[in-house]
Amino acid sequence: MKSYTRFVKPVYLVILINLMGFLLLYLYKEPYDNITIFAGLSIIALICLTYALILKLEMGDEYLFLIVSMLMSIGFIMLYRLDKNLALKQIIWLSIGIIMFFACYYAYLKINMWQKFLYFYPVVSYILFIITIVFGGGRRGANNWIAIGRISIQASEIIKVLYIFFLASYYTDPDKLNVCPITIKGLNIKINISRQLIFIALNYIFIGFLFLQRELGTAFLFFGVFIFFLFIFGSRISTLIINAIMACIGVVFSYFYFYHIRVRFQTWINPWSDISNKGYQITQSLFAIGSGGFFGTGLGLGRPDFVPEVHTDFIFSAICEEMGIFGGIAVIFLFFIFAYRGFKVSLMVNETFDRIVALGITLMFALQTFIILGGVIKLIPLTGITLPFISYGGSSLVSGFISLGILQAISKKA
Amino acid sequence: MISDMDKYRNRDTDESTNNEEKDEKKKGAMGSKIINRIIYALVAVCILFFSLVAYLTYFELFEKNKIINNSYNRRQFEMEEKTLRGSILDRNGTVLAESEFSDGKQVRKYPYGTIYSHVIGYSSRKYGKSLIESKYNDYLLGINESSAVFNLKGKLSGETKEGNNIYLSIDHKLQTLANELMKNMQGAVVALDPKTGEVLAMVSKPDFDPNEQKLEENWNTMVESQSAPFLSRATQGLYTPGSTYKVLTLASALENGMENDIYNDKGTIVIDGKEISNYGGKAYGEINLKTALAVSSNTVFATIGVELGEENLRNISERAGIGEKIPFDIPVGKSVFQYKEMSKTDMAAAGMGQGKILMTPLHMALVSSAIANNGIMMKPSLVSRIETQNGTVLKKHKPEELYRVMDQDIAMKINEMMQEVVNNGTGKNASIKGIKVAGKTGTAENELTSRQKGKEHAWFIGFAPADDPKIAIAVILEYSGSTGGSAAAPIARELISAWLKG
Repeated sequence: MKSYTRFVKPVYLVILINLMGFLLLYLYKEPYDNITIFAGLSIIALICLTYALILKLEMGDEYLFLIVSMLMSIGFIMLYRLDKNLALKQIIWLSIGIIMFFACYYAYLKINMWQKFLYFYPVVSYILFIITIVFGGGRRGANNWIAIGRISIQASEIIKVLYIFFLASYYTDPDKLNVCPITIKGLNIKINISRQLIFIALNYIFIGFLFLQRELGTAFLFFGVFIFFLFIFGSRISTLIINAIMACIGVVFSYFYFYHIRVRFQTWINPWSDISNKGYQITQSLFAIGSGGFFGTGLGLGRPDFVPEVHTDFIFSAICEEMGIFGGIAVIFLFFIFAYRGFKVSLMVNETFDRIVALGITLMFALQTFIILGGVIKLIPLTGITLPFISYGGSSLVSGFISLGILQAISKKA
Repeated sequence: MISDMDKYRNRDTDESTNNEEKDEKKKGAMGSKIINRIIYALVAVCILFFSLVAYLTYFELFEKNKIINNSYNRRQFEMEEKTLRGSILDRNGTVLAESEFSDGKQVRKYPYGTIYSHVIGYSSRKYGKSLIESKYNDYLLGINESSAVFNLKGKLSGETKEGNNIYLSIDHKLQTLANELMKNMQGAVVALDPKTGEVLAMVSKPDFDPNEQKLEENWNTMVESQSAPFLSRATQGLYTPGSTYKVLTLASALENGMENDIYNDKGTIVIDGKEISNYGGKAYGEINLKTALAVSSNTVFATIGVELGEENLRNISERAGIGEKIPFDIPVGKSVFQYKEMSKTDMAAAGMGQGKILMTPLHMALVSSAIANNGIMMKPSLVSRIETQNGTVLKKHKPEELYRVMDQDIAMKINEMMQEVVNNGTGKNASIKGIKVAGKTGTAENELTSRQKGKEHAWFIGFAPADDPKIAIAVILEYSGSTGGSAAAPIARELISAWLKG
């Protein structure tokens, strides 16, 4: 009996989804394009190979990767349907991502001094931020890309990981954040700045840089993770409340002083009044979601291409149109069980630093998913950010696999 | 590899036993406070994800229908251009509306021009859609959940899809006749089958030509026109029912044991200082209810109205569905009984169908059909079935009860009295040789009659054959100035006779 159940494994579901998806895509258009079959088989091969290695090398929680591979498959099928060339590029990013997954897994396990670089993380992050501001190129109103040769990298995707490590190093041992009393010469005044105040200031510098680069989604994401951390590890609840109030004031302030923030809110509350212009993206997204119904139009039979940015931020709308609201709910649930496994890892592990990193990664994924999905269905104001493992984008995918590799390593320790 | 997996599996199942030990350690290292807070964070994340699912479901169920037809949704046009819109036919298969491709563009054609403008409506690229064309748009275009699955082959091959055909319960011959009988008068005719609620003919005048080109030519003048040609009077027009309402007053009187009462009709009566008189001031002397209905005595029905009192009057009008939304295939105006508190003069006015009671012609036809159908009002219906191009029936009308207005014995008695109206009373013009016709006339005062004479609405409601009713009718001629008996009853007679003999 036991040997039988072993073969009804979730990995077969992942393979089945890919087989069905790519077969449909293959049969959909004449003349039949053999590249479709090649793409499908290479995705299946990559997933199976990685999964086999995870089992063989006993790399801890096998389900983390399985959930991700299911999400990735759904995203990849949809991406291939939307734009074949982008999907083929994504295979390359996926391969790099999986290599990074293993590399980070081993790096995290072998190097045991991550918590010692408390100052390193913010400093490197800030340097990256400054480089993007000075040398960076703009895309879609945001100024957040560093070009290296022909490849451009979204710095904030790397900074996400650094930020989690920074949080974890601080909360593992807050005393490490050395504070020298500031003496102002001549006046004989000594100002003692509390450790916590400096920590909070460092956090807001992260968020401030993101805001400057107009990466509102990521800024919102960092703030969300920060608030969750204050709640979990903060000694006083008053700090949390003060921060929340300050944030509200900040939002109100920027609503009146920054035009692009005001637009976000206005198009959230009533996108119909300026449907041809500012409300265009979100209303097209809603049309797509609404057109699918519960069961969807079927793969390749809808018109998700009417939605702008459909392959990155709005890929969920395309999934809802062609795979239905039920398909969309399946994606949400997959992210949810992924978050659940992540929380479980963080509860099981013994080392404080590991626990916090696991928690940070999990929260980062969960909140990012909520921010973009809530945005495209108009539950919350829309702020552009990718949907982890599903949206097209090399930086996002590779960064996702780096985080996954670290989480995998922690699950091994648990 | 298998043994490896086993190891991991065992570890997984052993978790529970290890948990306690681990928890001990955790408490030492981190404090249970933090563990608890992590669990709170998990709960918070859980709530966030479920709010996504909940909102998505809410959006699908309630929000999307409001937005999906927005003109910025390009899917609409694409779907419409690719699909040959289905036809609309009468009960015998006469084509009333069909689409054709000409020069690669679809054109909607209405071969009978104005006759169906207030039944089918129009489907125009420029002006949108109305009535059946709007309400059944999805069927006409063949959009529904199941077709997405079953029509996969057609979709894949990319050939032009054909929408579904809609068969109305309307009879084209009867509709044409009704249209001719109305000539250039303003008003409405509704004929239905009292046993099923199926509408056989429905004409509203004035009307318009729904063909795209004509619509474009006349749109502006029609929108501004005082005669309101876009108003579907049969379903949307609200009129004082006048004496036709007396059948409902009568029903309440019979229910309250007033069947054998005798009234002394002196031609006029003063109630609370207000004088009420019969049409033409005629006095009929000592009469019973039957005669009172036949001669349409206002003084008697005003007296009955006061005797019944507010509660009974309100009660019968509610049972007849006045004040309720009547479900129908096209939008229907809500008939109203607009009294908050009734004085005696109000009761007297209500008893004879004047005052603050307003009804649609469709509703009056339904009242007539309820009496014909032993007191049961059937749900009115216009679409009898929907078929795909290859004849599969997607939807078929099933007769449904709408309201039980009165008991069978009461309905039978009113039926008999209404026959007397046609045989010896005000409705003689509706009588047909060899057919028992039941009816009631009405000459309703309205907002114009107080200022000038000769602007009354002429009403007639009725059904036939009285012992086995097959058609129930309501006719109204707006501001005609003639009596229901002289102007409206002949129209009903022609239609009844055509339907029963035809």
